[in-house]
Amino acid sequence: MAGRKFPTVLLLILNLLSFLPFLTISFSPDHPTDRRILVLLDDLALKSSHSIFFTSLQSRGFDLDFKLADDPSIAVKRYGQYLYDGLILFSPSTDRFGGSLDLEGVLDFVDSGHDLILAAETSASDLIRSVAAECGVDFDEDPSAMVIDHTGYAVSQIEGDHTLIAADDFVQSDVILGSTKIEAPVLFKGTGHSLNPDNSLVLKILSASSSAYSANPASKLSNPPLLTGSAISLVSVVQARNNARIIISGSLDLFSNRLFRSGVQKAGSSYKYEKSGNEQFVTELSKWVFHERGHLKAVNLKHNMVGGTDEPSMYRINDDLEFSVEIYEWTGSSWVPYVANDVQVQFYMMSPYVLKTLSTNEKGLYHTSFKVPDVYGVFQFKVEYQRLGYTGLSLSKQIPVRPFRHNEYERFITTAFPYYGASFSMMAGFFIFSIVYLYNK
Amino acid sequence: MTRNLGFLVVALVLVASLCEAKIFNPISDSHRSAALQLFSVSDGSFGSLEETYEALRTFEVLGIEKKADTRASTCATVVDTIGSPSSALKDLFQALRVNGILKCELNDEAFKGIMSRIKDAINDAHSLLDYYYSIGGLMLIKDQTSEVAVHLGDADRIFRSIKALSQGDGRWRFSSNNPESSTYAAGVALETLAGVVSLASSEIDHSLIATLKNDIVKLFDGIEKYDDGACYFDEKIIDAHMHQGSLSASSVVVHGLTAFVTAARGSLNLPGDKISGLAKFFLGIGVPGSAKDLYHQIVALACLENSRVSVPLILSLPATVLSVSRKDQLKVRVNTVLGSAAPPLSVKLVQIFSSGSKDASVIDQELKLDPESAVHVLETLPKNVDVGKYIFSFEILLHDPEHKKIYATGGRTTVPLYVTGVISVDHAEIAILDSDLGSVEIQKKLDLSGENAVALSANHLQKLRLSFQLTTPFGRTFKPHQAFLKLRHESGVEHIFVVGSSGKKFEIVLDFLGLVEKFFYLSGRYDIQLTVGDTVMENSFLQLLGYLELDLPDAPEKAARPPPQPVHPYSRYGPKAEITHIFRAPEKRPPRDLSFVFLGLVLLPFFGFVAGLFYLRANLRNLPKSTVPVTFAMLFHLGIAAVLLLYTFFWLKLDLFTTLKALGFLGMFLTFVGHRTLSHLASTSAKLKSA
Repeated sequence: MAGRKFPTVLLLILNLLSFLPFLTISFSPDHPTDRRILVLLDDLALKSSHSIFFTSLQSRGFDLDFKLADDPSIAVKRYGQYLYDGLILFSPSTDRFGGSLDLEGVLDFVDSGHDLILAAETSASDLIRSVAAECGVDFDEDPSAMVIDHTGYAVSQIEGDHTLIAADDFVQSDVILGSTKIEAPVLFKGTGHSLNPDNSLVLKILSASSSAYSANPASKLSNPPLLTGSAISLVSVVQARNNARIIISGSLDLFSNRLFRSGVQKAGSSYKYEKSGNEQFVTELSKWVFHERGHLKAVNLKHNMVGGTDEPSMYRINDDLEFSVEIYEWTGSSWVPYVANDVQVQFYMMSPYVLKTLSTNEKGLYHTSFKVPDVYGVFQFKVEYQRLGYTGLSLSKQIPVRPFRHNEYERFITTAFPYYGASFSMMAGFFIFSIVYLYNK
Repeated sequence: MTRNLGFLVVALVLVASLCEAKIFNPISDSHRSAALQLFSVSDGSFGSLEETYEALRTFEVLGIEKKADTRASTCATVVDTIGSPSSALKDLFQALRVNGILKCELNDEAFKGIMSRIKDAINDAHSLLDYYYSIGGLMLIKDQTSEVAVHLGDADRIFRSIKALSQGDGRWRFSSNNPESSTYAAGVALETLAGVVSLASSEIDHSLIATLKNDIVKLFDGIEKYDDGACYFDEKIIDAHMHQGSLSASSVVVHGLTAFVTAARGSLNLPGDKISGLAKFFLGIGVPGSAKDLYHQIVALACLENSRVSVPLILSLPATVLSVSRKDQLKVRVNTVLGSAAPPLSVKLVQIFSSGSKDASVIDQELKLDPESAVHVLETLPKNVDVGKYIFSFEILLHDPEHKKIYATGGRTTVPLYVTGVISVDHAEIAILDSDLGSVEIQKKLDLSGENAVALSANHLQKLRLSFQLTTPFGRTFKPHQAFLKLRHESGVEHIFVVGSSGKKFEIVLDFLGLVEKFFYLSGRYDIQLTVGDTVMENSFLQLLGYLELDLPDAPEKAARPPPQPVHPYSRYGPKAEITHIFRAPEKRPPRDLSFVFLGLVLLPFFGFVAGLFYLRANLRNLPKSTVPVTFAMLFHLGIAAVLLLYTFFWLKLDLFTTLKALGFLGMFLTFVGHRTLSHLASTSAKLKSA
C-alpha cells in the first residue's frame, strides 16, 4: 500500500514542479510577453485551416485555448483575475459570445491591458463590428462589401473577381513589422475599414492601393462607395494608453494556411513570388501584439547637481543639474538596452520650460545636463516617449525650485561703491569731528 | 437549436469561402508535401500507435514511401503491445492496425493469445467502442494471418446487440446509458457490423441486413448539403479537444459504409449525387492543417475511390480565368478523387449562362480530348462569348455503359468562368460648359491609354463634362463595375462620382452650382483622377487627368466645415523641437571705472574736511590732563570707533541680530564712559566760565 502511495506523491510533486516554470514565466511587468491566449472560433475547422498561424504561436511558447465562440463555458475572468493574457477573435459571424463574455467583457479585457487580435470578414456580425468600432475602426456598413482592386489584385488562374488583393503598402515601422523587409505582397480577401480620425491611437498597418474600393462585387454600383483608395485600411493596429495592443484585420483568410502557402503575382508585374508575404507579416505582427517586441521600460530616473551624486530635495534657480534615466527594451526573453537618439526630457511646470534630447551611452543610459530656469515653483522632470509601435513611456518626478535666499544675492556691487564710500567717509568724518570738537581749544 | 443553426450557417459560409469557385481539385502534390510536414517523425516514431497508424495509412494512400526509418522502432512497440497481457483493447486494435501496414514479424502464438482475449472482450462488451475494437481486431487478425481461424459463432447475437444501440434516424449511440446519438457512432457501428458480417461463420439473418440498409438510407436522408453540391454529415456533439466535427463524422461514415457494402455484397441504392457530394465536401476542405483532419480526408477519399457503392469522378478546370487577348483555351480535366485517371469518357459543354442576364444559351458541344495530357480542350470559345462573367455547365458522358453503375459523375457541373480581354477606350474628352446655355467653353481630347495633363479652370456657374466610350474586342459596349471620377482638393478633401453610362457613351456632367455645398465652398486646385476597372478588363487603369482650378463663392457662416483630414502617423510620433529657457537678462550696470570715479568724488569732501581741520589748526589741547579723565576720554572714543567698526563688520558679514547684541553692550559702555567724559568736560568749562 505504502509502496503505491509513494509514486503517487512523487507524481504529484513532479506535476507541481512542472507548473513552476510556467508560473514564473507568466505575464508580469518584468516579463511582458503574453502567455495564455484564448482563441474563439466560429467553427473548429478553422483550427485546422489556420493551423500554421496557431502552430507558430504555440511553438513560440504561447498556451492557446481554443473554444467555439458560442461555447457556454467561456470566461476570461474569475474572482477578479483574468485567466488569459490575450484574446484572438476568429469568429466574424458570432452575434453573441457564449458564457459570460460580451462586448463589455472584451473591452474590459483590453482596458485592463490585455491584447486582442480581431479578424472580420464580409458579413461580419454586429458584435464584431462594435468591438472594432470601440477600437476606432469602422468596417464598411454594407455587409456584403469586399475590397476590390482591379489594378492591384493577385493574378490567379481560378479566382477572377479581383477580391484577392496583393497589398504591399505597409507602414514603415521596424518595431511592428520586424526589421526584415516584407518582399512579397500580402494576400488579402475580405472587407475594408476606415479609421476614425478622432482616434489618435489607431494606426493603419496595411492599406489598400489608390485604385481599390469597397463594394459588393455582385451588384452594380449606383452611388460612389463609402470607402475608396488608400483611405481603406486592410489591417490596423491600436496601441492603447495602457499598452494593450490590438490588431484588427478585415480578412480572416489573411491568417489561413491557404494564403500562407499560396504564391503571389501582383497584376501588372511579371515577377511571381513563390510564397506570399502573409506568413511573415502575420508572424511579425503577432510578435508585436503579444509584446515580444517594442515593449520598453524606464528605470532609475535620477537627477543631481553637477558635481554631486545625491538627489537634492529642492533646486535653486540657475543651478546646474544632471539628469539620467535608463531605458530597456524587451526582446521576448530578456531586457536589452534600448538605443535611440530621440529620447527627450522636459522640465515642466504647466508647460515645458526646458525640453532637451538626451544623449545615450548605447547601454541603456540616457543623460543630459542643463541649468534650472530662473523661475521658481514646483517643476517636474517629464519623460514622454511615444514612438510608433513602441509602448509609451510616461515618467515624471516632481521637484521644487526656490528663488535665491536673502544672503545669496551678490554683495559689494561695484556700482554701489560711491554709496559705501559716502557712508564710510561720513563715519570717519564723524569720528574725527567728535574728537576735534570735544578737545579743540 | 439556434446554436446549431448558427454553427451550420458558419460552416456554410466557411466552406463556401474555402471552395468559392466551386471547383474541386483532386488530391495533388500539395497534399503530399503537407502530409510529410504534418506527420513529423520525432525520435524515430510518429508518436502513439494511433498517430502512427494515421500517418502510415495516409502515406499509403498518397503513395509516399516513408516506412523504413520508423519501421524498426514502431514494430518493437507493436510486438510489445501485442505480447503484453496488460495492454488495453484499444491499444491492441491500434497495434494490429499498424501491423496491417508494416507487416511486422509476429508469430501465430501471439495472434492466438490475443484472439482469445478479444473473444472474451466481445462477450462482456457493453459500449459500441468495445465492439468496434474487438471486432476490428478480429478482422485485422483474419487479414494478417491465415494460420489462425477466426470465426464468430454467435454473430447474430452480436449483430443484434450492436443494432440495439441504433436510433430511429440512422444514427447511433456510443453506449446504452448514453442517450446522445451521434453520426460518428453510426460510422463506427457500420464498420463494426461489416466486420461481424464478414466474420460470421454462418449467414446473418437477411432481415437484419435489410433493416440495416434501411438505416443507412435514413442516415443519408439526413445529410446536409451546401449550395455548391457538397454534402456532409453534421455532428451535433462537438468537443473542442477531440474535435469530432463534421469532417471526422463524414469520414467515419464513408469508411463504415464502404466496409459494409463490401462485406454484405448486396446492392445498396444510394443516390450518386450524394456520393459525389461527399467527395466534393472532402475535396473542398483543400489541404487541412492538422494531421488528424488530413487523415480523415485522405482515408475517406480512398474509401470513395475504391468503394463498391460508386466511384465519384471530379471535373476540374486548371484555369477559370480565360483571356481573349492571350487566346486561352478552355481546358477540363476529369479524375477520380485521388487524382488517378478516369475511364474513357467525353466531356460536353451543355449550357452557358451569362451572369448579367438570365437567359442561357444551349451549346451542346463536345470537348476534344488531348490524349497525352488527358485534358479535354475546347479549342475556340463559342461565338456569343464576349468578355464577361459566365457560368459554364458541363456534363460527363461515360463511353462504356457498364461504367455508369460504377462511377458517379454528379450530374451537371457548373463552373463560373471569367473571360477577360483588353477593352478599348475611345472618344475620351473633357469639357467645361457654360451653365445656362450649355455652350462649350473649352474642350480637350484625352488619350486614356497614355499620359494626360489638362489644365482647366471653372467657376460655380459652369459645368464639367467628361465622356468616353468602352468597347469590347468583339465591338460591343462594355460597362465596367468601377468607373469613378475623383476630384481631390489640395487640402486633401476628396469627392468621388460614379460615371454613368447612357447608351454607348459614358458621361458625367458636374454642375458646380449644385455642388458648392458638397465641395464645402473650397476654391482652389482640384486634381482630376479617373479610375476604370472591371474583373474582366485586362487594362483597368487609374489615371491622373490633370487639374481643375475651381473658383467657388465664399462660404456663408453656417456652411458645413470640411471633415478633418487624418493626421499622418509618422508626424504624430516624431521627436519634439527642443526648448531652451531664456534667462532674464542681468541688470544693466555702469562700467566699473565710472563707479570708482564717483567713489573718488564722494570721498573728496572727507579729505576737504581733514584739510580744513589742518587749515584751522585744530588741536587737542582741551584733553584732560589727569589720568582718570584721560582714560575715560580714550575709552569713549575707542567705543565710538568700535561701534563704527561694528557697522563695517555688519556690512561685511555680520547679521542684524549679532550686530544689535554687540551694539547693545557697546551702547551701555558708551553711555557710561560718555557720561563721565562729557560731565568732566562740562565741569571743566563751567569752572573756566565761573573763573
